[in-house]
Order: sequence, then structure tokens, then C-alpha cells
Amino acid sequence: MADHNPDSDSTPRTLLRRVLDTADPRTPRRPRSARAGARRALLETASPRKLSGQTRTIARGRSHGARSVGRSAHIQASGHLEEQTPRTLLKNILLTAPESSILMPESVVKPVPAPQAVQPSRQESSCGSLELQLPELEPPTTLAPGLLAPGRRKQRLRLSVFQQGVDQGLSLSQEPQGNADASSLTRSLNLTFATPLQPQSVQRPGLARRPPARRAVDVGAFLRDLRDTSLAPPNIVLEDTQPFSQPMVGSPNVYHSLPCTPHTGAEDAEQAAGRKTQSSGPGLQKNSPGKPAQFLAGEAEEVNAFALGFLSTSSGVSGEDEVEPLHDGVEEAEKKMEEEASPESASSTPESLQARRHHQFLEPAPAPGAAVLSSEPAEPLLVRHPPRPRTTGPRPRQDPHKAGLSHYVKLFSFYAKMPMERKALEMVEKCLDKYFQHLCDDLEVFAAHAGRKTVKPEDLELLMRRQGLVTDQVSLHVLVERHLPLEYRQLLIPCAYSGNSVFPAQ
Amino acid sequence: MALSTIVSQRKQIKRKAPRGFLKRVFKRKKPQLRLEKSGDLLVHLNCLLFVHRLAEESRTNACASKCRVINKEHVLAAAKKSRG
Repeated sequence: MADHNPDSDSTPRTLLRRVLDTADPRTPRRPRSARAGARRALLETASPRKLSGQTRTIARGRSHGARSVGRSAHIQASGHLEEQTPRTLLKNILLTAPESSILMPESVVKPVPAPQAVQPSRQESSCGSLELQLPELEPPTTLAPGLLAPGRRKQRLRLSVFQQGVDQGLSLSQEPQGNADASSLTRSLNLTFATPLQPQSVQRPGLARRPPARRAVDVGAFLRDLRDTSLAPPNIVLEDTQPFSQPMVGSPNVYHSLPCTPHTGAEDAEQAAGRKTQSSGPGLQKNSPGKPAQFLAGEAEEVNAFALGFLSTSSGVSGEDEVEPLHDGVEEAEKKMEEEASPESASSTPESLQARRHHQFLEPAPAPGAAVLSSEPAEPLLVRHPPRPRTTGPRPRQDPHKAGLSHYVKLFSFYAKMPMERKALEMVEKCLDKYFQHLCDDLEVFAAHAGRKTVKPEDLELLMRRQGLVTDQVSLHVLVERHLPLEYRQLLIPCAYSGNSVFPAQ
Repeated sequence: MALSTIVSQRKQIKRKAPRGFLKRVFKRKKPQLRLEKSGDLLVHLNCLLFVHRLAEESRTNACASKCRVINKEHVLAAAKKSRG
């Protein structure tokens, strides 16, 4: 059976079958000769590829020879190969074969069959080499079964043993001199075995720890970038997700760092501002001329224009819009406001001259809800400062009112989940204004009905019941739990705490 | 112009109630009345629910007219429907 079977056939079973066929049937009495014969047969027939099976058989054969008589039972069992089933054969193999480490047998055995395949005539030498090799296999084989229990140690020892075997194998494999293959294999062996001996850091330089390369922050560059971004084109403003953020028309350099306030009708005011900036002389600052101009333009929506005027002072500035001058301008405007705020009464209105002229006949009514009021001027002011450069009122009444309303407008746009037009948002603001008006009226009526002058939560509950929000099925507490955050819930819903106390007290 | 007037939606909103604002508004409108301690929170709740209903209604109107954007008219119609 000198044919080389294909890989698929060379299972241990087939190899054993071959062994059986070639082996001398009268093996039990003469295990040695049988084994030798088996070995020779193996050498002739075995394909160089399936080494592990050969290794096992070789090892088995050799280990049988090397083992004490105590193993004779196994040997005899192996001798009765024909009577045994493949299962017993494999069992014997497993019992006797070394714990096959993937590395060891192959690499050590590689040089062995290769010379055999190349030069079958040199069987004896190869046998000799085999024999030479096998003693190296023995120590690992004897060691390996003894180490079955400790798993990890087994591997480590195998490695060290492997290295020993390698060294010895290296020395031995050089013995078949003139064997180009062997030498090449040796070289390959050297190559393959050389690497584990190197220290790991040299082996894997990428794993070595490197100090993190941190660049020092260039403060100057950072500030420059800050300024540059503050001068960014209005595209940024357009992309701003805040509602009512105004697109800067006519003043491209104006992205100011202040947060955009809510103001509708910003565009009109801005355009007017842009126009007015050029027309009106720069009284004190570049900021100031812009502000009143905006008021003028924005008087249609005064509230908005006002807020617009104040916080978007920079929008009027077409000149350099550094952050610092902007702040300076704002500070100056505030100072001016303080000056002029004193003579004014409750209404804090924009001190723009032209706006005042326009709103001369408007009542300076402190009614917040009305949309048509913001810039009610006081007449004495008008007379006093005709040529005065207009400064905006920084904190007029409408501005925080708008700011507060903006909170609900944002909520509206959040609940709507759809993009909205600015006009629609203005409409929402108007609706909210009306709503607040109605709400206050109703609460007043309810409180009066209960003979109180203080609005209590019961009035609120009654209001919500009338609105249909609170029903017999849905109580107020349920709504509170649903819509308000935890902190408010704790304040609203009485809850018992330790120490026999209820908070809030009922 | 039409494109720039569309406001993109917010992804995250504050949940805090503008208590100072509410108190101020109430004081301005009804200086003779007093508002109790947690009363403004309930007012805030009421506002939330109102805004919620209004938004839902506007959204319905916008979808009904097959617009991608909520318009002024949608909001107006919703307001009219709720009370006027």
C-alpha cells in the first residue's frame, strides 16, 4: 500500500487500517518487530501531510517500546488490531499518544517525513533520524500524560519542553548533513523558533506604551479663532435652532455672542436698522445709532422690536464687531438706560427719540398683555433729549415678558413636532397673551366667588375642571404627575414623610 | 424669504417652569390679587396643557391641508376652535 491517499482518507482510522493491513498478524508475541514493521510500513505509505496521525502512531509505537511492561496490556491490545474496533483503537491511541500540542509534534516531525519523502532510499538514515527524533518526543510524551490535571501548567511546560526539544531537534537535525531539505528545514526551524526567544517589546513594538503626545494649547490662536467665529457669516445664524433668531440682513458681520432673544418681526427691524445705521450719525458708539433705528422700524411689533433693539445692538453695527466693543457698547447703553430710566415711571420704554415721537400718543399703560404697546414714550423725555442719540432700554418690561412667553412658544414648537413658520410663532405668542389674560380673569372670578383675595390651588383645579382637563376619571394629581417634573410634583402633591409629617401641609 | 422664516424644531426643551415670569405676569394683570405658593406651578401646568392642545390642533390642521409646515392659518384655526 504505497499509494498516497488523499487527505480526506487519511483519518486516524484509515491510517490504522493501513497499519493493520501491513502489520504482521503475529504481533502479540513480538511487539518490537511488529512495531518496526509497522513503522516501516508507515514510513512508506504515510502521506507527508497527515503528520498528526503519524505522530500519534509513531509515538504510540515508540512509546510502547519505551514504556515499561506495565503497558503490555495495551500493547497486546494493540496487537489484536484486527479484532478491535476503531473505537478501542482510538482509545488506545488517546491513552498512549502524547497530549498533542499543535506546535510540537508537527514542527518536530516536519523535518522527519520530508527527508523521507524526498529520499526514500535513505530510509535508514531517516529511520535513524526518526529514532533520533523520537527520543526527543519521549520526554514530552512522558511528561505530557503526567500533566493532564493542571491545564495551564501543562501548556507552559509543553512550551518549555518544546523549546528543549527544539534545541535538541535543532542540534539533531543538523546531523543528516548534506541534506539540503533538512538544512533548509533547519533554517526554517531556526526562523520559526527564533521569534519566541525575542523579548516581547521588541517583537511587538506597537504595544509599547508611548507618552501621549499633547500639544500645548495656543491661546493666541484660540482667541483669534474665537473672534473669527464671532464674525461668522449669517449662515450660522440662519441655522440657529432658536426660534426667532434673526437672520442678519444688511450686516453680515454680525454674529454676536449674545443669545438671540425672541423677537418677531425681526426682519423688518433689521432692515430698518441696517438702513438707519448708515443714515443716523454715530453719536456715541456705533451701537447706539443702530438701536433707535431698530425701534423705529420695529414699532409695528413694538415688543419685539424693543427686545430686538436691545440685545441685537450689534446687529446694527456694520463695523468691526469684536466681542469687546460689543460688550462696551452694551454697557454704555445700559448706563444710558439707567440715566433715562429714572425720570420714567413704571414703564420702561426704549429711549429712542424717533420711537417716542411715533408713540407719543400711545398710553404708557403698564398692561403687559397687549401686543401693541411696548415703546410708550414719556413726553418729558421727548422734550429733554431731542438730539440725543438713541439708546435702547436694556430691560424693558416687554423683553422679559417676551422671554417668558418664548419658553411656551418653544414648548409649542416642541409639541408640534413639525417645522413652523415665524408668522405662526408670532400667532402663538398672541394666543398665549390672550390666554394669560383669560386665565387671570377666571382666577379672579373664582377667588372672588370663594370670598378670597388670594388665588389658591383649588381655584386652579376648578379652572382646569371647567376646561375639561380634570375629570372624574383624571384627577389633578394625575395631571401633575404626568406633565411636571419631579421637583414640582413634590411641592404640589401632599406626601407623607417620616416623623408623621405631610409635605406640603394641607 | 419663505425658507428662512421656517424655524427648525428643538430637540430638547427645558422643563423648568418660569415661576418668576408667571408671578410677574399675574401681578401685573391683577395687582389686587395674590397668588399662593404653588399656585404658579399649577398655572404653569395649565399653560403646558393649553400649549399642548394648541400644538396638537395646529398640527392636525397642517396635516389636513397637507402642508409640511405649520402655518399661521393653522394656528389661528386651532385657537378659534379652542376658545376664540
